[in-house]
Amino acid sequence: MLRRIKLAAKRAAGLDLAGRHYAVYPDDTFLVSYPKSGNTWVRFLLANLIHPNETVTFANINHLLPAPGVITRRFLKTVPRPRILKSHEPFDARFKKVIYLVRDPRDVAVSEYHFDKKKRYIRADTTLDEFIKPFLAGHTSSYGSWWEHVASWAGARHGNPQFLLTRYEDLLTNPIHETAKIAEFLNIQADEARLKAAVERSSADKMRKLEKQDADKWTGTKNTNKDIPFVRSAKSGGWKESLPPSCVEQIEVAWYPLMNFLGYELQSQELDHKALPIWAKAGQST
Amino acid sequence: MMSGIYKHLKSAYKRARGLQKPGKSLEIYPDDIFLVSFPKSGNTWTRFLIANLRFPNEQATFDNINRLLPDTTATPKRVFESMPRPRIIKSHECFDPRYPRVINVVRDPRDVVVSQYKYHQKIRKIEVDSPIEKFVTRFLNGETCPHGSWGQNVATWLYTSEGSPRYLQLRYEDLIADTPRELEKVAKFLNLPTSPELLAQAVERSSADEMRKMEKQQDHGLYRNSRKDMTFVRAAGSGGWHKDLPMEQAARIESAWGGLMHHLGYELETIKPQEAPEYAAFGTATNIPR
Repeated sequence: MLRRIKLAAKRAAGLDLAGRHYAVYPDDTFLVSYPKSGNTWVRFLLANLIHPNETVTFANINHLLPAPGVITRRFLKTVPRPRILKSHEPFDARFKKVIYLVRDPRDVAVSEYHFDKKKRYIRADTTLDEFIKPFLAGHTSSYGSWWEHVASWAGARHGNPQFLLTRYEDLLTNPIHETAKIAEFLNIQADEARLKAAVERSSADKMRKLEKQDADKWTGTKNTNKDIPFVRSAKSGGWKESLPPSCVEQIEVAWYPLMNFLGYELQSQELDHKALPIWAKAGQST
Repeated sequence: MMSGIYKHLKSAYKRARGLQKPGKSLEIYPDDIFLVSFPKSGNTWTRFLIANLRFPNEQATFDNINRLLPDTTATPKRVFESMPRPRIIKSHECFDPRYPRVINVVRDPRDVVVSQYKYHQKIRKIEVDSPIEKFVTRFLNGETCPHGSWGQNVATWLYTSEGSPRYLQLRYEDLIADTPRELEKVAKFLNLPTSPELLAQAVERSSADEMRKMEKQQDHGLYRNSRKDMTFVRAAGSGGWHKDLPMEQAARIESAWGGLMHHLGYELETIKPQEAPEYAAFGTATNIPR
């Protein structure tokens, strides 16, 4: 009963978390990805791009580029439009303009494994071999499996001019070029110097420093195991060293058409390297 | 300010009594089954069929259907909490990873657009003389309902879930062509006891004629202020678009979603399947682990 009254009071004051239940405006842009796909990095990149005169930190990122899942409804109302919001939701028809960030699922698996340990979602002695089955089934995340997430977004929106598909790996190899594409998508006029500054200020080294400084002020790292960093390797292809071959095989067998489509080269010789998901050749208009 | 406080008090009261409609906040149980579809795809008919199969001792009507097979946006929270499990729940949502098991009913979008066009006239969302071209434009853009466009809604389910043992896809057209056969698939999927008699009873109790009769007699809130000269239960057939949808409009739908339609077995009439977006490469659906 007391919990209910507290909740009702919070609701009345707008102090409850916005979660999934908030008004979406037609001029909103969403930065969407499956968890552990480089979302926080791109969030910093964008915040630095949009606010060249502010110091973006883990303490203020939730204000500069809000995630409705962790901010209050009242604060969300004060965010100036047009808003850019961060989300991990699978397909949501209300999101019209979307930057969809995708990452090699073999790297996502390793990243999520470490993150879940940091968050103490899984036992400290869980092995990757034990982790991979629930990961494939989508049981390690409340946003579904990697396949479901990417398929729901790419399947419904691929080819739409209001949908920008960005690979984490391309951002790593060619950050200025990829950031320029995002800036253009957002109608932000940014010259080379501004792009460079944004990339530089969001580098893995800078972010590691910021994490040390502010780990207790950010929802992503608060009350977690500080022995495991949030900003980890910030690399692509790390799975080649750390993911057991049996796990690689399971991921590829389950998801290879989608990996082909995204250009993530398969290790396996048995699988058809040309198979694509059904929407991939479709010139869908929506 | 006062009206704001009143609003909060009212919603707090509703919450305390469990009268609010849960919508997306519905607490989902691991044994829940969801009946999903894009609107106007035969969801209500399938809902009656399944409710009549599941509860053979109580005929489904427009008055009790929200209790027998509840709707996340129409049934109060406390009904959801007190009903027998496993619950079968109706929704029009796009893909939701929280849904443990899903029955998805799809229908030829050329028939869907006609059905929705007439339905929106009935519920006075559009004028009766509003041109269908205008409606088709909004339909293609996903502006005729809050659940995405037909292509998006179907794609999010099909592409994420096709081939999964937790997912049953039905075509409205197949349901029309052989209702007992399709309903038996549902019964198997739900592990419901079935016999030819039980199936026949459910089919009989959910027939278009029966539903038309009930629509006339029962005052179901959803359609209370709608036009009475148009019915909710309409043709209950397939392919009716040939009569009501001009070929140019059918062509627009086919060029937007032809690949998806072809994949679902809907014959294209304005373009060849080879000219449509090609979907044949979906090789691995059965490998989706769930």
